[in-house]
Amino acid sequence: MSTDTPRRRFEDIDWEANHGIAVGRQTAGFLTTLAALAVVFAFDYVREAPLFSPNPLFRDGWDLTQLDWLFVVSLSLFVFYVLVPLATHRRMTAHYWREFRKNRAAVVSLWFLIVVFTLGLVGPLIVSKPQVALTQSYQPPVGLSVDSTVPLSCVGDVVGGRCHGNWQFPLGTTGDGKDILSLVVLGMRVSIRIGLITSFLIISIGATVGTVAAYVGGLVDEVLMRYVDIQQVFPSFLLYLLLIYLFGGSLLMFILVFGLFSWGGTARLVRSAALQRSEDEYVEVARCAGAGTAHVIRRHILPNVSGTVITNLTLLIPGLILFEAGLAFLSLGDPTIPSWGQTIAAGRSDLRTAWWISTVPGVFLFLTILAFNFVGDALRDALDPRSEVE
Amino acid sequence: MRWYVARRLLWAIVATFVILSITWALLYVTEQQALTSIQFQAAVSGGDAEAARAAYEQQRGLDRPLWRQYTDYMTNMATFNWGYSTSRGQPVTAAIADALPYTMMYSVPWTILTVALGLSIGLYSATHQYSRFDYAATFVAFFGYAIPNFWFGIVLLVVFGVHLDMVPIVFDPDAPVFSLANARQLVLPVFVLTTGSIASLTRYTRAEALEYVEATFTKTAKAKGVSERRILLLHVLRPAAVPLSTILVADLLGLFIASSYLVEVVFGIPGLGQLSFKAIQNQDTPLVLATTLVGVFIAVIGNLLQDVAYTVLDPRIDYGDR
Repeated sequence: MSTDTPRRRFEDIDWEANHGIAVGRQTAGFLTTLAALAVVFAFDYVREAPLFSPNPLFRDGWDLTQLDWLFVVSLSLFVFYVLVPLATHRRMTAHYWREFRKNRAAVVSLWFLIVVFTLGLVGPLIVSKPQVALTQSYQPPVGLSVDSTVPLSCVGDVVGGRCHGNWQFPLGTTGDGKDILSLVVLGMRVSIRIGLITSFLIISIGATVGTVAAYVGGLVDEVLMRYVDIQQVFPSFLLYLLLIYLFGGSLLMFILVFGLFSWGGTARLVRSAALQRSEDEYVEVARCAGAGTAHVIRRHILPNVSGTVITNLTLLIPGLILFEAGLAFLSLGDPTIPSWGQTIAAGRSDLRTAWWISTVPGVFLFLTILAFNFVGDALRDALDPRSEVE
Repeated sequence: MRWYVARRLLWAIVATFVILSITWALLYVTEQQALTSIQFQAAVSGGDAEAARAAYEQQRGLDRPLWRQYTDYMTNMATFNWGYSTSRGQPVTAAIADALPYTMMYSVPWTILTVALGLSIGLYSATHQYSRFDYAATFVAFFGYAIPNFWFGIVLLVVFGVHLDMVPIVFDPDAPVFSLANARQLVLPVFVLTTGSIASLTRYTRAEALEYVEATFTKTAKAKGVSERRILLLHVLRPAAVPLSTILVADLLGLFIASSYLVEVVFGIPGLGQLSFKAIQNQDTPLVLATTLVGVFIAVIGNLLQDVAYTVLDPRIDYGDR
């Protein structure tokens, strides 16, 4: 995704600024948002959350955690560096869209992901935290029926000894009467959190390390890449197991462990792409014109490897979502946050009688991962025509 | 090349050393935390905090100087003196030796199947690009990757175990290794794992092989009248094997470690994954540490083998300055 502005003319460029820290409009916007967030965070932290604890925005019992702050930062990064450039460079966007649209499955997948993203974002506003209500246990989804001996009492109609689903619980309920629809929506919340925050961490660390290693070279390159070697050898999964065993598990821990320790592949990819780019003529020209290392990295190398990074990421995120679901299934995840893996585990022993409990979140998990793969495939074709399928 | 392999070997040892040091540091931090909480409890209940601390340090060997603790830990690790598992009532190494055969039982057929099927489907897809088979293979690959292993496992267990009664629901650890009963109870785990892992290998094989299907040397070989099989094996697969070896180890290894937990828990196989999982539940620190470290060692060795395989497979690479 090139962010180079083609319309800038020679005389428009502030050549003096290139040696200092030139701040573009995007960066300025992002930094302003970051500063505003920092102020709100400091305010919230110092007064121990009086601003948000009886929060009028969220329904019963949601509080802002460190995770939410990280999420908001990642979200603003996403807005300023993905959405804003897309909106300002209309022609480029239209071109990408034309390329992307060729893959029909990817378009459907993109819509699905947008729906998941939106629902996950506004989830706490529309659904309440699922409550244990044993009288409403084992309700089947709408349009399906189950033998009326399975639920304790049927919320919908009982016709011919079969309990039919009711719109009160469109996707049915679990064994302890939790509404599966709200569990699914809250699970989306977990998934988009994992997706956005880990991408934020992986992009910022991986791209920085990769470009610095490629461009500075020498000892710095050697040290950084040997570190990546060690990190790649140590499976994040085992590190996470060790850490939750020693310190207790939480979603924040999951995101930090996987975000901070799985950027190795991205860094290697960016490094090799950047090494190729730094041999290109335009980099030579920029260097001859007296551009500093930071300027070349920021203006010429990073924009040109961003396509590779984004594609790589869309294929990395589903793996992480799957990991989280697996860990939640083993009850090694965050017990306080409802996630898809947890619901699958909850319905595991009831599969014979109430198959929908495990199946509904399982299908959503399946579709999300499938959608990410299709979108990643199409993005590779659209953004990164240079790279062959690796 | 020999020098390169030697340096890689040395590097693997250094990496192991660093990883062990990190785990030691982690353990040290948690023990200090436990110490503080014990002191706090002793003080709250009116006891002597200092005496409680001394007793705990004595029991855990924390009264030794820090350097001694570190060297003792490293020596124990190096000499396979990995401690005693309280939850299982046997030395940790014995527990691992008990569990390892069960993990091998499904992972060996799984690896063979994944490599054989992944390579052959990928090659066939590449030579028959955009055919009906190619589309079907792509679909199956995506499907297998996207379906959550553990959920697929449960569903299959219900369908084939409960409803159709074709496979046993409960894993019988006493079944002889090479028997029909054992094969029947291992079919589903192997199937679930293979569908999950075959995707990436198929996709990569197809992509890599496509580069060589249209290559000039392949065309020359064809023009000379070399048989299809020989072209496929020597002109397409041989050069494609170089990048594939990297993907194979890196992808399969990561998948293997995580899936072994899920699949063993779902199917009740008493292998390494379940051992580690139960150790976490039972707060059995030496066992948790040992089982996770076994995973790390497998990863270290896998990465080493991958690098060595690279040098063997690709004689073009110059190792002079690496």
